[in-house]
Amino acid sequence: MGMVQGVGAWTLGAIQRLGRACLFLMASLAGVPAALGRFRSVIAQLYSVGVQTLLIIVVAGLFVGMVLGLQFYYNLVDFGAESELGLLVALTLTRELGPVLAGLLFAGRAGSALTAEIGLMKATEQLAAMEMMAVDPMQRVIGPRFVAGIIAVPLLAAIFSAIGVIGAWLVGVGQLGLDDGVYWSSMNGGVDFFDDVLNGIIKSIVFGFVITWIAVFEGYDADPTSRGVAHATTRTVVSASLAVLGLDYILTAIMFGGL
Amino acid sequence: MKRSTVEIWVGVFVLAGVAALVMLATRVGNLSTGGGTASYEVEARFDNIGGLTQKAPVTMAGVRVGRVTDIHIDRDDYSAVVVMAIDGQHDNLPKDTSAAILTAGLLGAQFVGLEAGGDDRFLKGGDEIKLTQSAIQLEQLIGQMIFGAASGENKEE
Amino acid sequence: MNQAETAGTPDTRDSLVELRDVHFSYDTRPIYTGLSLRVPRGGVTVVMGPSGSGKSTMLNFIGRRLKPNSGDVFFDGIDIDKLSRAEMFALRKRMGMLFQSSALLTDLSVFENVAFPIREHTALPESLIRHLVLLKLEMVGLRGARDLMPAELSGGMQRRVALARAIALDPDLVIYDEPFTGLDPISMGVIVKLIRELNDALGTTSIVVTHDVEEGCSIADYVYLLGGGKVIGHGTPEEMHNSDSEDIRQFMNGLPDGPVAYHYPADPLDQDLFDGGSR
Repeated sequence: MGMVQGVGAWTLGAIQRLGRACLFLMASLAGVPAALGRFRSVIAQLYSVGVQTLLIIVVAGLFVGMVLGLQFYYNLVDFGAESELGLLVALTLTRELGPVLAGLLFAGRAGSALTAEIGLMKATEQLAAMEMMAVDPMQRVIGPRFVAGIIAVPLLAAIFSAIGVIGAWLVGVGQLGLDDGVYWSSMNGGVDFFDDVLNGIIKSIVFGFVITWIAVFEGYDADPTSRGVAHATTRTVVSASLAVLGLDYILTAIMFGGL
Repeated sequence: MKRSTVEIWVGVFVLAGVAALVMLATRVGNLSTGGGTASYEVEARFDNIGGLTQKAPVTMAGVRVGRVTDIHIDRDDYSAVVVMAIDGQHDNLPKDTSAAILTAGLLGAQFVGLEAGGDDRFLKGGDEIKLTQSAIQLEQLIGQMIFGAASGENKEE
Repeated sequence: MNQAETAGTPDTRDSLVELRDVHFSYDTRPIYTGLSLRVPRGGVTVVMGPSGSGKSTMLNFIGRRLKPNSGDVFFDGIDIDKLSRAEMFALRKRMGMLFQSSALLTDLSVFENVAFPIREHTALPESLIRHLVLLKLEMVGLRGARDLMPAELSGGMQRRVALARAIALDPDLVIYDEPFTGLDPISMGVIVKLIRELNDALGTTSIVVTHDVEEGCSIADYVYLLGGGKVIGHGTPEEMHNSDSEDIRQFMNGLPDGPVAYHYPADPLDQDLFDGGSR
């Protein structure tokens, strides 16, 4: 009986949270036009969510690309098909790994920071103070962060993929002796801009939207205590990561599976 | 942090992102080769397309001139209809151009090869290529060889 | 000493803020059961009450960050529960609030914090903003600290910056939420002096919510004492000190037991100890 009740309580709580999250989304989308008017604060937020995530994206992209180069090369060489290395690496990165890994890294680095920042602003009454100063926190605080997140993730994903392609080139061409022209031409001949690259970019825009939404909502909805903010930060990383992976499957099925 | 430093870094970030997008579009993807001019679509019917897939290249004399955009079955005569997008710069393919499904190497991917005819009029969007040659099916060829050899042996006996 | 009359329009000549028969509860826990009070114009009104009596909640009604379940809240004769969101935002520009935690924006310097409401709500040229901000900071004695970040200031100084920010737009009403809590004696003395001086110098009306009897009474023109969800007494500080009401005397003199019981409601001790309850 206790377990059934527990499940029921959890379900009701989850539905309530989802409802609050949706109301919050509508309120923050209403704040987006005003945020675009304050382009300065969007730039400041691009710095903290984009530039501060850039280093980890570049390093991770380089290593992922190098590992892909090695793994694919050794597997392809068994079939005498190492000339397809560039194509395989580029498809893997632009369709899947670029958007997904950039999304996961963004959730861990910038998403958690967003939640903690907004949660602390709530805990220290900064949001309340803004309301009392007749300043809408949705326009001043949430809106610019939302816009910055949606701009930053596609750029980060593109940088991740591009650096990854270069990383695989370093290994495949630089170290294992594949021909430079073969590497690029197999890629160029097999990767379609609209089907592969553009779909990857669309994926990353969706990820950016969802991760930022989760991060700012968790911060805004956090208990205004240090414990509550810590909890919310953890929840952001967990739910944003799961959302990225789950959405990736759905988007892949729609885009590439013809669903 | 000073405002100007922040702005410079954001500028670097955005430029790097745009540069990465441009690289993905042109060096990695095919935007420079296929997207420059508008393409037009022509159809061709085959009895059998073998392993031809969407996005397979369409070549003429070995040079890529377009790609396969759609493959479906004709509702009436059950032949395979292959729709190809030909890059706009190749707007002088004669009306009696023929199409064949070829294979790159022995086991490689299949593609459509076009061969120019002698007509003065050119193909335009929505036209159909009448002269086609279906895919050579390796299984059938091998089967014919085996059975051919076997029947040949029988004759000798 | 009678309760505010509940009939007719609010008296806008004498009182800037009026709460009338306000009822409010968090979930099922009642906070107010018929709260009525008036804040006279131009004076310092101190609202006192024991911790947990919901003093700060009342401030949220005046800024309409919360709505009462029933009852009316008037600001300058306007029933603020009837205002649209945009109208309420406009009205808030006439209020300044000092939060208990100061609530300075941590990513802005002292100067920018005080400039924040001015920049948000006016299109003044930069030179004039600088002028205004420095004047406000001078009033709280922190003109020299204008380039520091909030984290570099002591708690007392943060509160003074927050005070400068609260009066940046020269509001009609300044609201102080527990302004004396968590300060050392010197900072406390500074804040006490500032509240009184600013009120008189700027001609504003002030509401101070506090549980510090001595500091509260030292600056008050008028005192309201809350308890049990309603007003249990009000008057000038002298009247309150000389009151013979048990409720007022217990709070004013800090007696541990009285109408506000020392013990949280419980079963008798011997029953609890020996009858072997659940825990």
